[in-house]
Amino acid sequence: MDDYAVRLTRLSYTYPDGSKALDGLDLDVRKGERIAVVGPSGAGKSTLLLHLNGILAGSGTVRVLGRPVEEPNLEVIRKEVGLVFQDPNDQLFCPTVYEDIAFGPLNLSVPPEEIPRRVERALHDVGLEYTIRSRSSHHLSQGERKRVALATVLVMQPAILALDEPTSNLDPRNRRHLIELMASLSATLVIATHDLELVLSLCQRTVLLDRGKIWADGETRQLLGNDRLMKEHGLEVPLSLRVFDRMARPS
Amino acid sequence: MRHSFIDRYANLDSPLHMLEPRTKLIGFTGMIVAILMTPPTHGFAFFVYLFLIAIFMGISQIPLPYLVGRALLLLPFVLLAAVATPRTNGQGLYAFGIVLVRSILCLLILILLTNTTRFTEMLKGLQGLGCPRILTLNLGFLYRYLFVLTDETLRMRQARDCRRVRRAGMVDELKLLGSMLGTLLARSFERAESMYQAMLSRGFAGKFYVTSPRKFSWLDLGFLSAMAVFLAISLWR
Repeated sequence: MDDYAVRLTRLSYTYPDGSKALDGLDLDVRKGERIAVVGPSGAGKSTLLLHLNGILAGSGTVRVLGRPVEEPNLEVIRKEVGLVFQDPNDQLFCPTVYEDIAFGPLNLSVPPEEIPRRVERALHDVGLEYTIRSRSSHHLSQGERKRVALATVLVMQPAILALDEPTSNLDPRNRRHLIELMASLSATLVIATHDLELVLSLCQRTVLLDRGKIWADGETRQLLGNDRLMKEHGLEVPLSLRVFDRMARPS
Repeated sequence: MRHSFIDRYANLDSPLHMLEPRTKLIGFTGMIVAILMTPPTHGFAFFVYLFLIAIFMGISQIPLPYLVGRALLLLPFVLLAAVATPRTNGQGLYAFGIVLVRSILCLLILILLTNTTRFTEMLKGLQGLGCPRILTLNLGFLYRYLFVLTDETLRMRQARDCRRVRRAGMVDELKLLGSMLGTLLARSFERAESMYQAMLSRGFAGKFYVTSPRKFSWLDLGFLSAMAVFLAISLWR
């Protein structure tokens, strides 16, 4: 058994309309690692995440916890890889919060009498009251919705969490809560995001994806601090790093 | 954005709200059937039905103006149906009146039903009564995404109004409306696809499971027996 959570080898994917989304990716993620995938819009970040649990299947190989992501393994892999979509309205499709959180465990054949406990636990983990369970998702605020979306995945106790823009559309307080929450998780994290400050505070390692290719893969501060590289790929050095850099420079 | 929800008062806790959804579905459907089966000659029976509905309205604790407002909102459709009924036996106005009265009574019952039962419980009730899962499931999606769709429509309308100084001609207005509907449809397709991906991601394999419904109680038994007795009497005469 190797200690890789995810191994991608020469992964390519072309959308039905002919546009190439991923172009020969190689990427290894170790167990327990927190890795950020950054890049401009349309770089292929979301497409990459959809490969981790076999929703999309391109050419090349994807291995999760040593298993190839293929038909007979999909059930196990979808339990181990929790995917949180960018728009909680996609993620929350049931009439009530409770049913949404129970959806995953019920599919995993968790005994019905254990479901309420699991739901309560998941809501507690994302910092929400248990009373929210009977509400409809459309009655929730955006911040609450994002948290419930995370709860629907945490409840399945995945070993790997793949998050697509977890902090988008959140106000500073909710964003802070969510970052703290993610920092407290022991799962392997793969985060696709534009929020570079989030990356700085959470991920030791960052991968730069653009036009379906990986252009850089390394230590977060070093990578995000590389002005030329960042500009070349439609990004910019985070303000905090620039300030830090200026202060560190001898005057 | 805020909407007026179809089940706006469904979260109160009057005795009517506490009934098991199946009880209400059976009871109220029974009443509707009785109203439809009461011959036009039994004019008095309709007053009895109205009286019963008024009692339910009182018990339900839902503000009367809201209930009446809802009924008025749907009245044009009822009128249309009433006008369209064939009048064969020369009693044109009377037949029209009967259809109108029946429709309004049924409408009031349905408004009561939807506002004393949470939508999700109603779905469970329907399922408990043998309604196919695929149907209740789609109703569930409908309920969930109706609001998302309304939001998108409202936002699109605001965006349109922001860029439009004055109204265009009728034809252009219709064209605009058409393209807005098209956009909405395209977005719905995309939404459906992402939603399905989200379902697959959480282990969906084509089978749906339910969590346990509300319990059947003495209150339900009482309601059903009283309803049965009442309907039997009103239809007997």
